[in-house]
Amino acid sequence: MSALLKIEDLAVVFDTRAGTVEALRGVSLSLGRGETLGIVGESGSGKSVTAQAVMGLIDVPGRIAGGSISWDGQALVQDGAQQHPSGIWGKEVTMVFQSPMTSLNPLMTIGAQLEEVIRKHLGLGRAAARDHAAEMLAAVGISGARRRLDQYPHEFSGGMRQRVMIAMAIACEPKLLIADEPTTALDVTIQAQILELLAGLQERLGLSIILITHDLGIVAGLCHRVAVMYAGQIVETGSVDDIFDRPAHPYTQGLIRSTPRLDEPEDRLTAIEGTPPGLLHPPEGCAFRTRCPIARDDCRAPQALRPFGAGFVACTQPGVDAWGDGK
Amino acid sequence: MSPTLSVRDLAVDYELSRAGLFRRRRMVTAVSGVSFDIAPGETLGLVGESGSGKTTVGRAILRRIPTSAGQIRFEGQDITDLAGEPLRRLRAQMQIVLQDPYTSLNPRMKVGDIVAEPLVVHGLAPSREAAREAVAALLARVGMPADAAGRYPHSFSGGQRQRIGIARALAMKPSLIVADEPVSALDVSVRAQVVNLMQDLQRDLGLSLLFIAHDLAVVRHISHRVAIMYAGRIVELAPRDAIYDRPIHPYTQALLSAVPVPSPTVQRSRRRIVHPGESVDIANPPSGCRFHPRCPLATERCRDDAPPLADRGAGHFAACWNSGA
Repeated sequence: MSALLKIEDLAVVFDTRAGTVEALRGVSLSLGRGETLGIVGESGSGKSVTAQAVMGLIDVPGRIAGGSISWDGQALVQDGAQQHPSGIWGKEVTMVFQSPMTSLNPLMTIGAQLEEVIRKHLGLGRAAARDHAAEMLAAVGISGARRRLDQYPHEFSGGMRQRVMIAMAIACEPKLLIADEPTTALDVTIQAQILELLAGLQERLGLSIILITHDLGIVAGLCHRVAVMYAGQIVETGSVDDIFDRPAHPYTQGLIRSTPRLDEPEDRLTAIEGTPPGLLHPPEGCAFRTRCPIARDDCRAPQALRPFGAGFVACTQPGVDAWGDGK
Repeated sequence: MSPTLSVRDLAVDYELSRAGLFRRRRMVTAVSGVSFDIAPGETLGLVGESGSGKTTVGRAILRRIPTSAGQIRFEGQDITDLAGEPLRRLRAQMQIVLQDPYTSLNPRMKVGDIVAEPLVVHGLAPSREAAREAVAALLARVGMPADAAGRYPHSFSGGQRQRIGIARALAMKPSLIVADEPVSALDVSVRAQVVNLMQDLQRDLGLSLLFIAHDLAVVRHISHRVAIMYAGRIVELAPRDAIYDRPIHPYTQALLSAVPVPSPTVQRSRRRIVHPGESVDIANPPSGCRFHPRCPLATERCRDDAPPLADRGAGHFAACWNSGA
């Protein structure tokens, strides 16, 4: 599979009064055509910043401090410098955000907002754009699409608004859809509908998807490949089966263990003691070592992603059962 | 043993905000016909999606909002219409832990004062020294460092703030704690710490706990019994394993099947029941069984009559005319 998106050694910082926050510290990723990649991590791990960098959305006080991003052979970021190619953002690469309540303009009808996107990127006329908008609403499972074009966002429920956002994101036949916590604000039964919609669209349109989430269950159900982030770095990548069945990094193992399961209740959850480090002065070496049960002296040296099994792990002792009860 | 808390046919109405001078008052029934008990030392999980009324139930029990029907008994005493000084004393015995550890602690108070406040308000700290000792013991109990008392909330992470909130709730040695989404704002790794802490405290102190949450996996982990709410009513109530392994109500079945499980193998083999339709608009609830517009088993009867929460044996209750009857 040839890589459609390639991120190399990306660094993003935020300049604050207290100092420079190192939000991304050397992130490398690639994504193939038709692939769904899950980026998992806790708040502050850098998963959303990664998406924003791909979308060209890093803005003051944030800035790109190093690395490259290329899309289908074109540079989006070159050696730490933001490039501005046309016809990619919003057309070939689109994004759906967590909050469908705030990402729609409350003063414009759904139809007007959809048509605006369609006319801008596809260059269609008024009537054709309206037809296409109705088609898109129907494609995301909104019934009575034509009538609903004339309605305002407040007339839609949360789940329906997220469908509208997805319609808008796929209206220009993108090659990559980035979904940042797309179902976090939704009820679980509505979430199931949206996830099903995304899976269906991917199959039908051959989309690549980057799914950003903190919910391991969603990743397990939808993704082909997973990247686990911690403190601004990727600590492990691999196929979804490897990540869940044979997690090699102590943090990945701990994350999976500390997630309560509906199907296999346990008496006691494994808790990862402590909290993630601040990124104002990130620790030397492995950022997880202060919470890691098997940390040793050589963890103080920086850990790069190295091949392990079929994936990549940044750890001095990949594959060791860090939480020590053999499960 | 008589239950710590006993709720019978609880109903809560809200008035919809009126716009304009001559608009007619419109009442919305947020919760109706809710009945359950919590035994001493028991954790009851109360689950539902947004608008299901689970938070309203919690607040009504704590007498923070007026009820419009039904009865609430706490340790044998009818507290439904309690007011004034007796209500104030009662509040010491029932404490709440809230969802958002970032807004539920006063940012201008030191942690020691936040935890000591209920003791001072209820006159249980005879001296500053006694209060300081009590606070130190409480903070140690929830796993906070000893020097935390002299610091402000902003210097703590979300998980630590939630520990502070729990310490404050424990200060009065309550027999009932209502925890409303106590871990849903926390990250996975920290969430497990707080869930373990609440479980330990509940066991060690013999607390009764009403654990309100939307996360079914966390609820399974922490609860002895579980009640599922939909559109202001309890649709199913049962011992934990019964409800998760043998759900009766079609809504419970759909809800459980919709929860993603963190295992790709399991996810591939699971049968998901994806119901069409949307969350209920509580201002215009459907007639009869409120789930009927989304229910695959719905019949004429479901449209007309609301099914009662009926005993299906072994403490398993369900409100459905058709399923497993």
